[in-house]
Amino acid sequence: MLQGQLMNETTTKQQPGAFRRNPPIAGEAEAIQSAQSGNQDAFSKLYALHKRRVYTLCLRMLGNVSEAEDMTQEAFLHLFRKIGSFRGESAFSTWLHRLTVNLVLMHLRKKGLQLVSLEETINPSDDDTPKRDFGSLDQRLTGSVDRVTLERAVAELPPGYRLVFVLHDVEGYEHNEIATMLECSTGNSKSQLHKARLKLRDMLRHPETMGEGVAK
Amino acid sequence: MTDPKKDEIVLDCAEFQEQLPQMFAIQGEIEERPELRAHLATCSNCSALVRDLEYIAEQARLLMEPTHDPSPEVWSNIQSKLTGHGKPN
Repeated sequence: MLQGQLMNETTTKQQPGAFRRNPPIAGEAEAIQSAQSGNQDAFSKLYALHKRRVYTLCLRMLGNVSEAEDMTQEAFLHLFRKIGSFRGESAFSTWLHRLTVNLVLMHLRKKGLQLVSLEETINPSDDDTPKRDFGSLDQRLTGSVDRVTLERAVAELPPGYRLVFVLHDVEGYEHNEIATMLECSTGNSKSQLHKARLKLRDMLRHPETMGEGVAK
Repeated sequence: MTDPKKDEIVLDCAEFQEQLPQMFAIQGEIEERPELRAHLATCSNCSALVRDLEYIAEQARLLMEPTHDPSPEVWSNIQSKLTGHGKPN
């Protein structure tokens, strides 16, 4: 049921965020066609073309190198099994992107992360909850954050915050799409995103409190 | 004659910040709601907060470009599963 659901979700919805970065890739169409006929060289070409995108997505959603590599492997094995069902209704990278997101979400559910009720189940402890901000103006963020620092901060977010932040602000999904994927309300998605941004703000204003980066 | 100021809603910082998730989710929400605009215009802390949160959302696009490669072992594992050491499940 899950696999059927996974593939339905990858074929029926075109995903606007992913389209923003889906320029046609030279040789991709031919490689897809050959891979659909079982050609493993063609599949290896598809891996080379898309491994970075798939792995980076997994890493950002999971915040953990080892799990991200495992999920990258799973995503491509799943792709190999299911590539025959790709009909070209959306860009291949969009389709693969959605397939990967769904696999990661399934993985998190299997791990026991209840995505159904984000608010109750993966709300971080009181210590992690961003404080209401009535603070001083001594440290403005504008113009001060680079990609590496932001990436480190995102990796340190609690899982529920990180998921919603990555899906919405990085990957471009809408709240209603996230709510469907995570089986929560749109209000919940908005609330989690807001808390994620507040938490990021706290970390980015005090980068000395952050760890070294994504976990091995 | 009614005093137009009488019906104005005045938000304190806590009330304003409770509105933020919805405000960020709906484009143009600030323009539509005078009480939000009024608070922003008079509260430097909340306006700094909003500016920072907008900045974080903008900077998130820096992460859109994939920048990390998996280790070579990932492909080795995939290949071995594809070539019979184990068919993909």
